[in-house]
Amino acid sequence: MSVLIDILLAILVIYLALQSLLAPRLSQSVFLFFAFGLALALAWVRLGAVDVAITEAAIASGFLGVLFLDALRDFSPRSSEEQKNISTVQNSRSRNSVKSLLLPRLSLVLGLGLFLLIALEAVWNIPDGGGLAADAEKLLPQSGVEHPVTAVLINFRAYDTWLEIGVILLGLLAVFAVGKIQIYRKPIPVVDDILLRQVILFFTPVLFLFGAFLLYFGKTGPGGAFQAAVLWGAIGILLHLGGRPIFLLIPRWLGQLLLTLGLLFFLILGFLFIAGGATLFEYPPAYAGVLILIVETLAAISIAAALTAMFANLNQMKKEESNKIDSTN
Amino acid sequence: MDIIFIIVSVFLLLNIALGLIRVWRGPTIADRLLTTQLFGTTGMAILLVLTGYLEQLTLLNVAITFNVLAILLVIGLVQVWKKKKGESS
Repeated sequence: MSVLIDILLAILVIYLALQSLLAPRLSQSVFLFFAFGLALALAWVRLGAVDVAITEAAIASGFLGVLFLDALRDFSPRSSEEQKNISTVQNSRSRNSVKSLLLPRLSLVLGLGLFLLIALEAVWNIPDGGGLAADAEKLLPQSGVEHPVTAVLINFRAYDTWLEIGVILLGLLAVFAVGKIQIYRKPIPVVDDILLRQVILFFTPVLFLFGAFLLYFGKTGPGGAFQAAVLWGAIGILLHLGGRPIFLLIPRWLGQLLLTLGLLFFLILGFLFIAGGATLFEYPPAYAGVLILIVETLAAISIAAALTAMFANLNQMKKEESNKIDSTN
Repeated sequence: MDIIFIIVSVFLLLNIALGLIRVWRGPTIADRLLTTQLFGTTGMAILLVLTGYLEQLTLLNVAITFNVLAILLVIGLVQVWKKKKGESS
């Protein structure tokens, strides 16, 4: 009987995925994508992957949600005249640059093709015999945590997770590189709205507490640093939207420290025990539980800071651009 | 007892499917946003029903995550689009 739920869910997921790509209007696409995120989270629950479901729920409906809304605003033209301006600018730009872009495009296609081939080769050669699940299960008591997903992420495959935190930082650097970094320091006017302030005052502690709970709960069940980071990042985004941009209020060095703290501490920890004869990213089993908790907390702070900075910087950057368009017109 | 859980979940899933009509038709962006709030609430209801059905309490985490983050979209819409109006005027 429960097959009925699964069939309905499967149809919904595929339908929403297709429609969010094919919908004629951008705003339809964006909101269908939110619905897709929800359906996908439910599908992950049905598949028994609660960790992935929490991440999907947090990233798709929370963080990507505000990013898309922000992007949607910039893609919706304010008047038909402006639309005309934009399209003529785009046309002239694309005509000029087709020739000069041919070589980079060709090399990009070749590089991506090569990468795909290597990836295919790596996937093709998966060893049979159930992989490493049995070994991981056997070593679980030594990992310092009880939840197998957390054990694999932070202990057994710590190197991967460390690089993942690096990837998020890299994404942020890309945002910084595209935008001008000075804009980042520009203060935005304080919004004085009593309803908004009350909502933010109410939700900030709720988000913080639930994030902290998820972080600690990762030890015994689904949860962990990445999920907690999105919830903590949501605090930063809320404060930014409420006119309290957190990265402008704290000194610059503190912001940079927050952004890199997780990556740095993880790296130091990874190399710390090499002196004692351990391999890279190996923790002594006696302290593993505490160390994992510290690493996860710092990683969550860093990822949360990175998500906040990404949103804040994109938001500021676009505002600056639209102001420029206004003044030139 | 199981049959009740399944009927309720299917009913709630169909609710989500019906809500999609508003996404398609909704003339303004606020109408479309309200459907996502409906999805969030209905999704939480489905998760709560599934919690009872699968007897897996950790699903409650997913439900709470959905709903504490739902506010982000509303605030985001209000603030982001309010700023736009202010600029265009």
